[in-house]
Amino acid sequence: MTKFIPIVTTSLLTGAILMGPVSVYAQQSDPAQPPVIQGTQGTSSQGSASQSAEPEGATTQPPTLGQTAQIENDSPPQTNPDQTQPPAGNGDQSRPEDPGSDQSAGQQAATDPTSQTPAAEGQFATASQPLMQVGADWPYWGGDAQATRFSPLSEITPENAAQLEQVFTYHNGDLPKGTAEGKYSPEVTPLKIGDDLVMCSAMNILISIDAATGEENWRFNPGVPNEAIPYGATCRGVSVYTNPEAAEDEACATRVIQGTLDAKLVAVDLASGAPCEDFGENGTVDMWQDIGERVPGWYAVTAPPAIVRGIVVSGAQVKDGQAEDAPSGVVRGYDAVTGDLAWAWDLAAPDQNRNGPPEGEVYTRGTPNMWTTAVADEDLGFVYLPLGNSSVDYYGSNRGEAENEYATSLVALDVTTGEEVWHFQTVRHDVWDYDLGSQATLLDWQGTPAILLPSKQGDIYILDRETGAPLTPVAELADLPKGEIEPGYISDTQPISEWHTLRKDPLQERDMWGFTPIDQLWCRIQFQRANYDGFFTPPSSERPWIQYPGYNGGSDWGSVAVDIERGVIIANYNDVPNYNRLVPRDEVDSQPIHKLGAGENAGANAEGAADPQEGAPYGISVNAGWRNDVTGVPCTRPPYGGIRAIDLETGETLWDRPIGTARRNGPFGIPSYLPFDIGTPNNGGSVVTAGGLVFIAAATDNLFRAIDIETGETVWSTVLPAGGQANPITYEVDGRQFVMVSAMGHHFMETPVGDEVIAWALPRE
Amino acid sequence: MSTITAPPDKSTTLHTAWGVKILGWVNVILGAVIFAGGLWLIFLGGSWYYGLAGLGLLVTGIMLNRYMIEAVWVYLLVWLGTLIWAWWEVGADWWAQVPRLVAPTLILILVLACIPALSRRTAKP
Repeated sequence: MTKFIPIVTTSLLTGAILMGPVSVYAQQSDPAQPPVIQGTQGTSSQGSASQSAEPEGATTQPPTLGQTAQIENDSPPQTNPDQTQPPAGNGDQSRPEDPGSDQSAGQQAATDPTSQTPAAEGQFATASQPLMQVGADWPYWGGDAQATRFSPLSEITPENAAQLEQVFTYHNGDLPKGTAEGKYSPEVTPLKIGDDLVMCSAMNILISIDAATGEENWRFNPGVPNEAIPYGATCRGVSVYTNPEAAEDEACATRVIQGTLDAKLVAVDLASGAPCEDFGENGTVDMWQDIGERVPGWYAVTAPPAIVRGIVVSGAQVKDGQAEDAPSGVVRGYDAVTGDLAWAWDLAAPDQNRNGPPEGEVYTRGTPNMWTTAVADEDLGFVYLPLGNSSVDYYGSNRGEAENEYATSLVALDVTTGEEVWHFQTVRHDVWDYDLGSQATLLDWQGTPAILLPSKQGDIYILDRETGAPLTPVAELADLPKGEIEPGYISDTQPISEWHTLRKDPLQERDMWGFTPIDQLWCRIQFQRANYDGFFTPPSSERPWIQYPGYNGGSDWGSVAVDIERGVIIANYNDVPNYNRLVPRDEVDSQPIHKLGAGENAGANAEGAADPQEGAPYGISVNAGWRNDVTGVPCTRPPYGGIRAIDLETGETLWDRPIGTARRNGPFGIPSYLPFDIGTPNNGGSVVTAGGLVFIAAATDNLFRAIDIETGETVWSTVLPAGGQANPITYEVDGRQFVMVSAMGHHFMETPVGDEVIAWALPRE
Repeated sequence: MSTITAPPDKSTTLHTAWGVKILGWVNVILGAVIFAGGLWLIFLGGSWYYGLAGLGLLVTGIMLNRYMIEAVWVYLLVWLGTLIWAWWEVGADWWAQVPRLVAPTLILILVLACIPALSRRTAKP
């Protein structure tokens, strides 16, 4: 089919660480070398300091879990001084890049567990464990434990960035085969630990490569079948955990843990890639347990788990829009060593199902899930879950009370108990698929331990981490239209951030676009025919309705980066509407996923493009990005995506510009090679560095670029061999700073598929 | 396409005539589509521009088919109106100007290129 491809976007249209352990990593990362115990003297002496703090913390601990007695055998209470984790804070002098001294107070606080080192006996998650430091390493998906995506590295600057050259390209070999064709959106971000990079591939092959050369150390393929691909083959990343009680030379003392598309947690040894035999069954925990009928592709993990105080916390992506009777959105915590279930948080039955549902039952079905990445708060022992909406996104009258209470909320759970501490809801009675997609960021905000939350509506909230109370002004929209479909359900009030929003003004007819007056006219007619009362226009069926911003954001899974030294938030965002219509049941011809035959899978469709929403009176038709049905050109004018710098103190915009050039797009699908910034849709976040740069790919122009954080100007860019819809990283080897991003493409963003991770650095004489 | 410097031999005149005819019909079709869509848009409460511009284009096309030099003046009016309207709607947002100005300007160039042929026809007794 020849389509008139838009200029714009083919897209829419479619010791650091802690102290000792880092040096341990370095030793372990070469499988050929026997592990050497190094730097542990400091560990043991600090261990006693940690121990002395325990009693105080213990008294403030919540009650233990009912199930703990049983698990205790596998996971001894952490009261033995030899087994106690050392506190972080004083820094390891031997670390090449010790950011400890110039980190913000917030980070200092977060890395100092001495005030929070409870170790009540018989508990699962007890003492706060030392944090790994970002710098030479990129130890967490979000960079540091706070998920700021800020690196203290400063070798590469706006002055020398133009000299960046490619150092290596690593091909992981994972390209779509057979039924996976057209469903790849790997979104992979590696971790860098010691000498190595560890990552997953689209189909969850775990891989370790040398961080300086790109040579493969090992790989482990858990054998995920194509049928497990939900909406896209995605693995955003992995997490790493060091068992404080294991000897350094023990297998799996430091392990890589990922969630897979077929909903398994897989743990392998960081050094060798061998499955951790102590974890679940031969290194695998099946998350389908107690979910219900196993329908491949309906329930899949695409995000790296959060690990807090030795508990691996994971939700899963429940394929949207299939049926009300969908897999549960339950979020579960597992012991990072044994893989045993520590607790389950089933928002509709939190007490009953805390240790798993009663015999013969499953976790509450159809509840809002967490498909994106949580952030761990080792200090408070909390994990912050950005929840999505219920499984049927666009109709709400038959949702349960708990669903209404928690959908599209940030939820703080206490990992020591699995109980909710607070939640903050960003949309009331969400019928727009405004899932919280962005990982939240921990920071110190004007003296208060805080959490920064961006939303798909573009609102940025800063909340008190302990209570969930907003620290920045939150306003109420009132008297919102209620529509005709379910006026009793639609909320006539909604919260918005008065501090900062990425959202633009509501659409007007003059914002309609096209290439010629004729397609522009057609879009104007569609605009006038649709229901549109601005932000939060409720769904309709007789006529289509315009949802702006659309479900792609605002801020999506790439989240924002926070330069904690300069006090600047860098947020890239989408600026595209969706053109939707509720489809009456008798017109719905698509089948929910569990009623499809083998091999049939609508995974390649844009999310919501024609979803059955079984159980609701309507299916849903979504024209994502609102593209002209005939020409494929977007109906609204560019830009479709931007990047913005925001003052962290005041919430004011420092600069704002379109991101993404028109080079890849043009009439009839012919690349225009126009170097002009048109602002394309984008998916994937940025990295900010102490050197004063923002590194970001994300846009559909397949460029990877460095932007001067002070001015917003692009100081370097390079063409990727495939779409760069992934979060970049930066790290250091032997004093040389590298930047890296994966170029693997994205089916929904319509960028070419690839299998590469690419590293750049400044030239060495 | 003929040029002003081309000798007025019979075949060139014929080509030019056909060029005018083709442009005339193209304008009639585009004008009719835009006029119809424009009426629909006016009916829906939207902009009046398309109804008016479509009508102008339609008239231009009909006049071109009749080799009337006035077609140029009518279209010039449509184009100037378009320019003013486009600036009023989106100003210096050049990406937003693409659908508003590119095609109408292209047509303007073609209509202007018809002047020699139209002049010859008009000059005929």
